[in-house]
Amino acid sequence: MSAPPAVEAPVRPRTDPPPPRNARRLRDRLRRDWPLLVMVAPAFLLVLVFHYVPTLGNVVAFQDYNPFAGANPFEAFLYSEWIGFGNFEALFEDPSFWDSLRNTLAILVFQLIFYFPLPIMLALLLHSVLSPRLRAFIQSVVYLPHFFSWVLVVSFFQLMLGGAGLLAQVVRDAGYTPPEIMTNPDTFIVLVTSQAVWKDAGWGMIIFLAALAAIDPTLYEAAAADGAGRWRRLWHITLPGLRSVIILLLILRLGDALNVGFEQFILQRDAVGRQAAEVLDTYVYYRGVVVQQYGIGAAAGLFKAVVGLVLILAANKIAHRFGEQGIYQKS
Amino acid sequence: MTNRRTILGLVGMGAATVAGGGLLSGCSREPGPTGTATNADAASAVVPDFKPVQLVQPDIKGTPPVADGYVRYPAKTVAAITEKPGTSGTPIKATTPWWGPPPPATGQNAYVDAVNAALGVPVEFSVQDGNTYSEKVNAMVGARDVPELLVIPGWDIARIARFSEGAHVLFEDLTPYLAKEKGANYPMLAALPTAAWKDSVWGGKLMGVPFPTDSPFPYALFHRKDLAEAAGVADPTNLDELYAYGTKLTDPGKGVWAFGDISAEVQQALGVPGSQQGWRKNPDGTLVHKYETPEYRQAIEFMIRIHRDGLMHPDLAGSKGGDANALLRAGKVVCWQGGLGVWRGLQRDETRVNPTFNLQPIKVFGAAPGQQPVRWQGTPGIIWTFIKKGLGQARTEELLRVLNWTAAPFGTKEYELREYGVEGTHFTRAADGTPVTNDLYTKEYANQFGFLGGRPAVIVGGADLPNYAQDFLAWANDAIRYAEPDPWAGIKVETPTKLASITQPTVDKMTDIERGRRPISDLDAVVTEWRNTGGDEAREFYATVLADNGR
Repeated sequence: MSAPPAVEAPVRPRTDPPPPRNARRLRDRLRRDWPLLVMVAPAFLLVLVFHYVPTLGNVVAFQDYNPFAGANPFEAFLYSEWIGFGNFEALFEDPSFWDSLRNTLAILVFQLIFYFPLPIMLALLLHSVLSPRLRAFIQSVVYLPHFFSWVLVVSFFQLMLGGAGLLAQVVRDAGYTPPEIMTNPDTFIVLVTSQAVWKDAGWGMIIFLAALAAIDPTLYEAAAADGAGRWRRLWHITLPGLRSVIILLLILRLGDALNVGFEQFILQRDAVGRQAAEVLDTYVYYRGVVVQQYGIGAAAGLFKAVVGLVLILAANKIAHRFGEQGIYQKS
Repeated sequence: MTNRRTILGLVGMGAATVAGGGLLSGCSREPGPTGTATNADAASAVVPDFKPVQLVQPDIKGTPPVADGYVRYPAKTVAAITEKPGTSGTPIKATTPWWGPPPPATGQNAYVDAVNAALGVPVEFSVQDGNTYSEKVNAMVGARDVPELLVIPGWDIARIARFSEGAHVLFEDLTPYLAKEKGANYPMLAALPTAAWKDSVWGGKLMGVPFPTDSPFPYALFHRKDLAEAAGVADPTNLDELYAYGTKLTDPGKGVWAFGDISAEVQQALGVPGSQQGWRKNPDGTLVHKYETPEYRQAIEFMIRIHRDGLMHPDLAGSKGGDANALLRAGKVVCWQGGLGVWRGLQRDETRVNPTFNLQPIKVFGAAPGQQPVRWQGTPGIIWTFIKKGLGQARTEELLRVLNWTAAPFGTKEYELREYGVEGTHFTRAADGTPVTNDLYTKEYANQFGFLGGRPAVIVGGADLPNYAQDFLAWANDAIRYAEPDPWAGIKVETPTKLASITQPTVDKMTDIERGRRPISDLDAVVTEWRNTGGDEAREFYATVLADNGR
């Protein structure tokens, strides 16, 4: 029990109590920000309807999902039998799941080493080209393949490097046996990385070009005045200027780690065999969608998401350790 | 096999397998339905009474279940249906597959518009790519969002888990409309073969309208006879000759390879079983799957030689990207196994630009001189049209009248409009009266109405396909002698999910062996794995189905 206050509180006039401070502040802010909120609302709704609501469908990972149970699709979720971790058990007992995970991780690591740095190098090279017209021309040429579909890209490679393609015919005409490029499982990882580089390296460099454009030119002038050569300027000005973007993209790539692609692999899967070309996405398709084992497909999807989350948290933590901002910071 | 796999394997995936499996077991059960089967012999009570409508006598009789052939076109076609089937004026939504370029939509398609005018009610089609049709249908059925008329081929039905359950949820039970004598209300539908109707019974109810097969063979070994003859190579009559045929016709320097995929044909030449995707009942009553037979091993060994010696077109050597039909048209591939349905359209369209083009099935042969081949048999119905559930009696009857119209047989005006379009727009008549189609027809026709309501199967040639009916019947009447008896004939079997889920991985492993990516010595291990992961369970299931039906 506390003692009574020494000083009486001042007597307030008998009017309605004012709204609590928080509510007043909220109302003020709503009045002030309503145009912004209206502008954001459609995007928010889109994300809600097409992202968060479907996410609820992940419950089928714990069900023997029967789309025909109940009177409507919603009831199908309610009435499908819960089977605990049965789907995960089936998933983890399936050797082809582990094959596909191994392939996915191998492709991820390979591409991080041999693909990820290429757009940076391309951007640096292009940045050093002085003629704006030549730069615009090169940019257009290297962007272009990004807009081709995977079907087109794979067909193009087939026409050039396939057993009946241009290279094979030239080699054959010269009296030699052509190499198996499109059907060799042992070099498939190099093939898919080359395709990815051809298709997307030019597109990937855009963001680095933007970051390069943001570097203050006076820094270069000052460094040049101090006698720094091209390499010194690259090392001490350009690369530090790019560092935060590189780390940001690396973290985002890790978060997306197990999505190495679908079309590219399904198109070439038969040519090199499942053992080389099965990745998690194609596994989900064959095991989950084709035979309608939605539960197993959802379980594999959840597994992917958890691995992605762990990777992104870890990478962000490491970025903080190195004094970088990462993709978010603790407030 | 490769270093990267070994290294990554050591990273700990194996350990995770053990840990994951151990932790999760004991608190759950495996997902998926077990298989079911409906005895279609007991379905006689719900199918329409058969009343044939034969307006024209066939020129060549087919040995059942091969359809009859017509060489001459009837001098006069008759109108089989006097009243327009459509009465409501409400457009009908229909989804159908098509294995070719997409046709123009309803409203911009003179062929569809002409048939719609005859029907008295517009049918609005969503024509989908047949090669990826199962994905579309899976999504539609899984979401329980189906159009008023949905056409589903049997091979796509086989990929829909719990279809027999879903059919009753999504589609109208046609038993009250068509069973027994009620079939007379739709005489064209009642003229469809009873075996195909019995094949349309799921869970004791008549659930769909069948598209009867015109021959029971899923494949034939087709070749460009014009190219083989020009090279002076005779048709092969055994596997050794087929191999020699391949070596003579392959010329990589000219970009020509003898073969596309021929593996199913090689298996049939060797007598590999094919019922229910590979089962055979031994004389002692036990069941054996094709993977377990010495004939299958021989077939794999033969295919290994074909691949190793470079006789198969590199673009088709297991690739999804290669278009076998396009390569065949271009003369880059000479011989491949194709469905018989592809023959007519390919020959007709190609003859317009290349009069010497001659696509022919090679006469069926055994692996060695004197050895008997087998021909695998499909089901009596191959494609079904389902009517959406809950549309009400009036609309369902209207839809059935439309399907009755689209099922009109050869010799009727309805058949002519459905198959050839409008005279003067889509076809002209040759001197003997047979319709000769043009490019507009090829552009607009995607068998939109033919798939609806099936049709009594016939083999029809014509002025643009002068020898087609004769060639088809000569080949099919010979091939039917080798038809493999199917112990499950007449029983509607729904494959257990477990077997369905191991099918693709096993096929992939077999392909790896054929292509030389795995040694032939792995075959036994692959078969053992197949047996342990669901093969033996499937054997039990199929044996039980036979026992339950007293076979």
